[in-house]
Amino acid sequence: MGRTLRALAVLVAAVLVACVPLVVTSPFYLQIYTFAGLNALVVVGLALLFGYAGQISLGHAAFVGIGAYTCAYCTVTLHLPWLVAIVAAGALSGAGGLILALPSLRLKGHYLAMATLGFGQLMSLVFVEAVGVTGGVNGRGGIPFPSLGPVVLRSAASLFWLVWAFVAVAVIVAYNLTSARPGRAMRAVHGSELGAQASGVDIVSVKVRTFVLSALLAGLSGALYAGVVGFVSPSSFTLTTSIGFVAMTVLGGSGSLTGPLAAAVLLTFVQYLDSLIPGLPQAAASKLQTYQQDIYGLAIVLVVVLAPRGLAGAWRRRRKGVGTA
Amino acid sequence: MAAPSQGGGNGVSLLQIREVTKRFGGLTAVDAVSFDVFEGTIKAVIGPNGAGKSTLFNTLTGYDRPEAGSVRCDGRELVGRKPRDTVLIGVARTFQNTQLFDELTAAENVMVGCQAHQRRGFAAAMLRLPSSAREDRDARAEAGRLLRLIGIEEWLDTPAFDLPAGIRRLVEMARALATKPRLLLLDEPAAGLSAGETGELVRTLERVRDGGVTVVVVEHDMGLVMEVSDEIVVLDRGRKIAEGPPRMIQKDPAVIAAYLGEDSDDA
Amino acid sequence: MTELLQFLIAGLKNGAIYSLVALGFTMVYAATGAINFAQGQFFMLGGMLGAAFVGAGLPLPLAALAAVLATALIGAVFELVAVRPIGDGDPLRIIMVTIGGSVLFSQLALHVFGPDTRSLTTFTAGPSLKVLGAAVERQTIWIWCLTALAVAGLALLYRRTMFGRAMRATSLHRDAARLVGINARAMVTASFALAAALGAVAGLAVAPLTQTSFQVGSGVAVKGFAAAILGGLGDPAAAVAGGLVLGILESLTAGYIDPTYKDGVALIILLLVLFVRHQGLFGGSGREKV
Repeated sequence: MGRTLRALAVLVAAVLVACVPLVVTSPFYLQIYTFAGLNALVVVGLALLFGYAGQISLGHAAFVGIGAYTCAYCTVTLHLPWLVAIVAAGALSGAGGLILALPSLRLKGHYLAMATLGFGQLMSLVFVEAVGVTGGVNGRGGIPFPSLGPVVLRSAASLFWLVWAFVAVAVIVAYNLTSARPGRAMRAVHGSELGAQASGVDIVSVKVRTFVLSALLAGLSGALYAGVVGFVSPSSFTLTTSIGFVAMTVLGGSGSLTGPLAAAVLLTFVQYLDSLIPGLPQAAASKLQTYQQDIYGLAIVLVVVLAPRGLAGAWRRRRKGVGTA
Repeated sequence: MAAPSQGGGNGVSLLQIREVTKRFGGLTAVDAVSFDVFEGTIKAVIGPNGAGKSTLFNTLTGYDRPEAGSVRCDGRELVGRKPRDTVLIGVARTFQNTQLFDELTAAENVMVGCQAHQRRGFAAAMLRLPSSAREDRDARAEAGRLLRLIGIEEWLDTPAFDLPAGIRRLVEMARALATKPRLLLLDEPAAGLSAGETGELVRTLERVRDGGVTVVVVEHDMGLVMEVSDEIVVLDRGRKIAEGPPRMIQKDPAVIAAYLGEDSDDA
Repeated sequence: MTELLQFLIAGLKNGAIYSLVALGFTMVYAATGAINFAQGQFFMLGGMLGAAFVGAGLPLPLAALAAVLATALIGAVFELVAVRPIGDGDPLRIIMVTIGGSVLFSQLALHVFGPDTRSLTTFTAGPSLKVLGAAVERQTIWIWCLTALAVAGLALLYRRTMFGRAMRATSLHRDAARLVGINARAMVTASFALAAALGAVAGLAVAPLTQTSFQVGSGVAVKGFAAAILGGLGDPAAAVAGGLVLGILESLTAGYIDPTYKDGVALIILLLVLFVRHQGLFGGSGREKV
């Protein structure tokens, strides 16, 4: 697609997304679309980490959880304003990402996968056991709505806009990165670490920065989630959650931002399919729920084996012949 | 065939390799090899298969750590440095098994090299600052220039995974040149090139040398080696067995014996 | 003193299980350079299939054998269907596919066997034995015997049979092995089958003591992997040692510090090993550094 055409398409998509609350008035459905945005925010970061830099994280739900619990603790226990809470959430999850990334990224790829798996499981344990801070298995409730100064965002529409505004900023930042030197450096690291070193790329620095950014975005998503739902518990930040993020990223395809974003929205809808199809009998709905994980697993296996470049790759192949980066 | 090139150089030694030894378990791949490379010249490293040529390159550029010996470039010790540091010092290399970034185009591959010495710029890129945009424009222009220099500008926007094998090696050479090296180490740049393309490569190497980059080439293509080298080093089973200008090496009995001892089918 | 002994026995019991799972990780790693995330699911399938076969009327020994063979077959088929098609053998893609496979296996178990836990009867009935004042359950003896048998069998396979030597050669240098006529791909399939069998044996052996369900796979996988890297990835003996050490450390933590931290031990060890000494206790050079 020509640059102007692509920019136009993005603009149209952005306008359409912004108009959703004007068309959809049911707060129930709006919340599902808001959840899609929350997942998309995490997946943008993972798209950079996995789709561009080629690093696997199996524990990103931990960073979402860190962001969520930080926000909860700041607002409920420390009574800090929401803006401070979300900055703290981002900072802490970013710091967590740094602490995890620095030692792990000196080593080969599969070690990061295992380190993130271990970290994710460890944080799951911490979320359950650190009852003082996290409320333990019962979680923590009473989290206030997000507020920008004196303005409190209560309505489903305003929450939708808030979350998707974050997604928009994240996409812009990610796009700026991928269309410039950092994006090339990420893909260089993914393509050939030997070649990247020989071309003067600081491999560890690229990986660490990308990882920290993805952790930060996940943390922001967590903080927003806390504000949207008002309640956080350890069951939202499990290995299953992390694998779900991975499935969205893999399905979306490497080397693309729109692919994973679309996949995140798609798979969120699948998650809530039983709610989205009106009039579905309860039996069928619960049956559908049990197959959710199958879809994640299948998506990962099929994409990795058959179409390593995911949805994005399939799209690119359709337009084959006109080579654009 | 044209007379062998005789680059003048200025007689200053740019690279001093002293007693470099590399062992892999019981196998001594490089055995106390010493030689100099003089600034502004093209030096070829030849020898039968398994002579240790690529391993030598690895020790010069930080990919393998030698058991003994020293390598100095511009007065700085290269042994013990990480590969990226050797690039920043001004030593660039290509690989026998070409290491291109398959998802990037040829131009983008070279651009990565162009920006080797640039400071990080992560934040500047995120915010789309004008400095970042300018650096990218300059890198793109430089990449185009280098690909033109080597004569492969038609492949500018082709993704690397679509490039033919010979062109891949040339793109990798362009990328190495993009890091603005004092010393360029090429590992079999002519592999997969046609006769015509090899001739082009000779002229390119001469242009590179005349542009101020000292070149060390590992090659099997004897025609290329004889035509382009100012000096040749011959390795056999890890040891240096001869060194000198092409005409001398051609007649050296030790060299002839080493090659006759192997059944080679190279061009 | 008896208390310490009791903890050690418990530690060695769990440790033996971890050793088997760790061996499975090591085998696949040696053959492919990749981590097989589905390893924990082979453990789960062993126990679940065993329980299913017993429920279908098979006597326990036959059911156990059938479960191990079936799981080995599943492992081989998984490799053929999901791993082999990854042409370039890229370890990262293999890891991804085993992650997906892991999810699919546990889901499959959920759909076929349902969400309920299942159990097996102990292999031999009878009271616990008394050893130096500590109680050792009979099933624990079974676990040790089966583990020892598996390890001995593996050692024999590696050293004495052509097949075993071929596997070792392939893991050391795939191209060289291929040149000598070894079918490298078949070796990879075999390694998956063996890893699955080891996991299944572990799952069967411990099922009478802890109940099994479709969910047990991922927890065991993490512990087994922690054990594998604690010893040092790629070396079977190190995997066994790592398993036993992990089991003992877990048990001592549960006994002397706090039972709630028991599951955290493996995770902390995993992270510590990765950050401090990724070769583990017995691993070789630091070749894995970037």
